[in-house]
Amino acid sequence: MKRYDLIIAGAGPAGLSAAIEAAKCGMKVVVYDENARPGGQLFKQIHKFFGSKEHKAKIRGFHIGEELLAEAADLGVEVVLNSVVIGLFPEKEVTVKIDNHVEHVKGDTILIATGASENMVTFPGWTLPGVIGAGAAQTMMNLHGILPGKKVLMLGSGNVGLVVSFQLMQAGCEVVALADAAPRVGGYGVHASKVARCGVPFYLSHTIVSADGCDHVTGVTIGEVDKNWNVIPGTEKHFDVDTICLAVGLSPMSKLCDMAGCEMEDNPAKAGFVPKVDEFGETSIPGIYAAGDVSGIEEASSAMIEGRIAGIAAAIRLGYISEADGKEKIAEQEAALNGLRQGMFAPGMRGKMITETEEGVSISQNLLKHGFVADDEIERFPGITHSKGIHPVIECTQNIPCNPCQDACPKHCIKIGKNITALPAVDEEQECIGCGMCVASCSGQAIFLVNEDCGDGTAEITLPYEFLPLPKKGDKGVALNRKGEQVCSAEVADVRSAKAFDHTSLLTMKVPKEYAMKARFFRKEEAV
Amino acid sequence: MNDRNRMLAPFVPQPDDDIIVCRCEEITKGEIRRAVHDGMFTLTEIRRYLRTGMGLCQGQTCTKLVKGIVARELGVRPDALEPATGRAPMRPIEMRILAQDKEDAE
Repeated sequence: MKRYDLIIAGAGPAGLSAAIEAAKCGMKVVVYDENARPGGQLFKQIHKFFGSKEHKAKIRGFHIGEELLAEAADLGVEVVLNSVVIGLFPEKEVTVKIDNHVEHVKGDTILIATGASENMVTFPGWTLPGVIGAGAAQTMMNLHGILPGKKVLMLGSGNVGLVVSFQLMQAGCEVVALADAAPRVGGYGVHASKVARCGVPFYLSHTIVSADGCDHVTGVTIGEVDKNWNVIPGTEKHFDVDTICLAVGLSPMSKLCDMAGCEMEDNPAKAGFVPKVDEFGETSIPGIYAAGDVSGIEEASSAMIEGRIAGIAAAIRLGYISEADGKEKIAEQEAALNGLRQGMFAPGMRGKMITETEEGVSISQNLLKHGFVADDEIERFPGITHSKGIHPVIECTQNIPCNPCQDACPKHCIKIGKNITALPAVDEEQECIGCGMCVASCSGQAIFLVNEDCGDGTAEITLPYEFLPLPKKGDKGVALNRKGEQVCSAEVADVRSAKAFDHTSLLTMKVPKEYAMKARFFRKEEAV
Repeated sequence: MNDRNRMLAPFVPQPDDDIIVCRCEEITKGEIRRAVHDGMFTLTEIRRYLRTGMGLCQGQTCTKLVKGIVARELGVRPDALEPATGRAPMRPIEMRILAQDKEDAE
């Protein structure tokens, strides 16, 4: 029987990160993954990640995946694809199906990093072709280059629903509406805002009544729900769509831990049935670890750190690193993990109603209800100033752990400070040179450069633009406000693309100056 | 759920009882609700009785849905129900491959 120091099930962010740390200590590591491609969810994530430098913030998910794979390969980690772990036994024997045979392998330590599966909801017509998980839509678009449909309704306003809605539009689909049974948007406000300003209406407190169609989806009816989640008669709305995307949460795929005999718990805070683990990710069976979504649903960024911690802990266990050195490395990772688990969306904050930011600014209620900050709310946030000439306008209104904008500005116009969840503030003493680095660096696409008065009755707004084909200088079209409504005509004054912007182009549009603080998106079409 | 004498409210048909919950085995919501009234109080029993979660996807789609339906029928919180046992093979596997499985083939 083959033996390894560490056997890892799942080559996603947690599994690969653990493999890297263990291999760095000299361990012989194998990673099995049932998919044809490694990387787990990372390779579907075409957006820029949040966090700070140590969390690989402002790097796109698939690039992080490429980095991890390259690092693992350099360290001699064996990654076996198309291999299905079908059994895990308490004495750390793993059975894995590879091609047409079952292999038995034994590990001195084991890491379960199998991730999560998508939740579903039932409604009449939910088994029709065209009803798919948001993750499935991402797989089709971002891994296989296949458009899931033409007109889509998204159910779910968590980060998955918001991010995938945006990606669907980037791929060329029309997102006709975003619905969620919850009364408030669940994901980051900045993700919601970038979807809303493209013109997608948000229907909170709405659920799907039924999907129409005979052999595939041809339409969907949603309706408003009351406090008991029952649809209020007369509130139904119908949309012609060919695709219904469900982004209603994830469940840990923890069955391997269960069958190995690890002590399990059903923990709503972790989104389901998970192994009980200690601070190093070790389960109740010594030497069997769990990391990433399988031990509690979180972001890929935290999965990577949990993986690293488990990898180091396994190395300590087998004596590949001294306890003192290992603990020191783990402490560094724990500090990074704590940095991520801060702010309004921290794991402990789930379901809590927040009315004020850490700075004491009232949260935008419109953002929570409709996906965008209302005109009469935006002025109270510290990122909004009205200097003369070009200056950044930072529409970042919730405390999330993210700070690339602060480092991006060569002139230090943007201040967040040590506490990475603080709202970015504009330092008006420093002069903005209009380089746009902040606009491109903001993972939430929430930073704009505005010249409120160009002296000729117009204002110029530079916005992050990630759609193709790119408009060209001189193109005429309409400016959309935060809600995605056409507010005025606009002309493209400049389009900048640079390697440093990493595929976020900076589009500068000229609008009448009274729209300087309203116009936030450009659409190339004739004004109505 | 070990209280076998648990008294349930009478079975009342619901308008969406014919909705399919387990897609692989085509089990409806009504069948699951009826099974509870037939005395299947645990998820393992439901699985053996109806084959929910025993098909191609091995319960990846319906496990949580079935749990919710059974919990509501019993009047308990979903997390009070113990999940059905996990055992090898974790994923569907062809019998000819499983049959060739010899311990220590090398």
